[in-house]
Amino acid sequence: MEDKTNDAMRATQCGSRFFWQRGQLIDRRLSAKYARVLLRGPTVPTDVEVGQFVLVRYSEDPCLPRAFSILSGSDLGLELFVKTDGRVREKFATAPMGTEFDIRGPYGTAYRDTISSDCQYILVGGGSGAAPLLHFRKRYPHLVAGEVYGFRTRDPVDLLPEVVLTVECDGGQRAHERLAEIWTPGVGIIACGPEPMLRLLGEGYGNEPHVYVSLEARIGCGIGTCLGCSIETRLGMQRICREGPLFALKDLPWLR
Amino acid sequence: MATLTCERFGKAFASPLVLASGPAGFGVELSAALDASSVGAITTKTITPEPRSGNAQPRLVDCPAGAINSIGLENPGIESFVRNDHPAIERLPIPRLLSLAAASASQMSALVRRVGDLDGYEAIELNLSCPNIGGAITGADAGAVGEFTRAAAGESALPVLVKLPGDTGNLVESCEAALRQGAAGLTLINSLRGLRIDWSTGVPCLSRIYGGLSGPAIFPIALARVYEVRRAFPETVIIGTGGVSDLGSLLEMLLAGADFVGLGFGMMVDPQLPEKLCGKLETWLDDRSFKSVQEIMGLAHSGGFNVH
Repeated sequence: MEDKTNDAMRATQCGSRFFWQRGQLIDRRLSAKYARVLLRGPTVPTDVEVGQFVLVRYSEDPCLPRAFSILSGSDLGLELFVKTDGRVREKFATAPMGTEFDIRGPYGTAYRDTISSDCQYILVGGGSGAAPLLHFRKRYPHLVAGEVYGFRTRDPVDLLPEVVLTVECDGGQRAHERLAEIWTPGVGIIACGPEPMLRLLGEGYGNEPHVYVSLEARIGCGIGTCLGCSIETRLGMQRICREGPLFALKDLPWLR
Repeated sequence: MATLTCERFGKAFASPLVLASGPAGFGVELSAALDASSVGAITTKTITPEPRSGNAQPRLVDCPAGAINSIGLENPGIESFVRNDHPAIERLPIPRLLSLAAASASQMSALVRRVGDLDGYEAIELNLSCPNIGGAITGADAGAVGEFTRAAAGESALPVLVKLPGDTGNLVESCEAALRQGAAGLTLINSLRGLRIDWSTGVPCLSRIYGGLSGPAIFPIALARVYEVRRAFPETVIIGTGGVSDLGSLLEMLLAGADFVGLGFGMMVDPQLPEKLCGKLETWLDDRSFKSVQEIMGLAHSGGFNVH
């Protein structure tokens, strides 16, 4: 009993961030390659900032947990939008409702603490990189000047009814091409997606002042200690899980 | 209730669990989550004479029952460490071991001299076995191990531990060289050289191709090395590190002869692992009427439980 009290006290002191919480899979919508899932449990973190991520593992898997951006957090639970390949992600697609997952977090710096609030942004998402941007548009609609969510196929269209997707195999247009049509000088960009997409942005908008990219790497500890996700920036080595995941494009010379 | 206290180097450590160098950083971020009574000591990330930015991404890749890392000893270098990191580390409520690496014995000597006036460390651990920095692994060459150890031990008032590789060189010879030149103990083993190839692109997953495999996948190898070295050196202090992640593997490592058990990969998965393990270990010892964890250390060499 005493242990549990101490545990709860320390959990409160450090915001439960270091403690595995158990959540049940309570809702899921699936396409061929993506899933939109809702996890809920009495201690599952739902008060999350836009841009933060959680680590998730299934059944005490002996591998490292997997990091997921958060689509939304509310009384309903923690909502994720994921690609359904890989060890944990596959479970999201196949496990029965009620299956328990371990969740740790949230981690990472909120987008609002990285971006300038002096301008509006076009949100550019690629694949499951759309997740934190959908969270952003919901939380900060006044900061959104436009949106581009690029996917190769129409596969996830029904999972994301709240937005219009830019589907490559439909009109042959890719996310950065659509962006070029709607971007005007002075408007900022927040992008999250695969590295090739971010590199194209780096080539086209590397000198613009308010361009931010959300980076991905295999996350180890999630709390900034193992340095598995460190990257080189103009400000020195920085950790995607701690100082990131959002970085100003101007600080990432290797992406420009 | 059985005690987990371990007395070594003339000091009592709260438990046999030591956070291995690397995954726990400098312990500062983790300190809010750690129950100080469950951690014997924390080993700092390895510090080198000059700052190192480490290897390019990708630095981590999954493996069945583990991961391969290629961090490359990213660290701020000794001067920045002393100025910016040491003050916070010194305030941690957990004993500290200071991990150091250098490219030559003379550099190691200077590095140990530089940290000589820092308070707050129980021992120095020489990392002679990082698989992620290129060049020959010092720990694979018994002659070099002896040289580095002599250089460090000659400058240090603290006990010197030597961390050695589990997959290259003659480990017992390297241990002997370290102990002969003044090492007070051994840390066995570092992560093992491993490789993964992305079969969807046909290229290696890590930027430096190879990395260090850690996690439950390497546990039986680490256990064999600890057992082998304990048999050869019955009196020396051993920190057994490699894939310990549950009560069973912790007990095996202690029975094989480890005085302390390092947690590395396990800390990345679960920052609460030390207190979970300590709780289970205490119950296990109580159930079998052991008064102290020290009673079971090395028992696998002398007939196990039945003869005691």
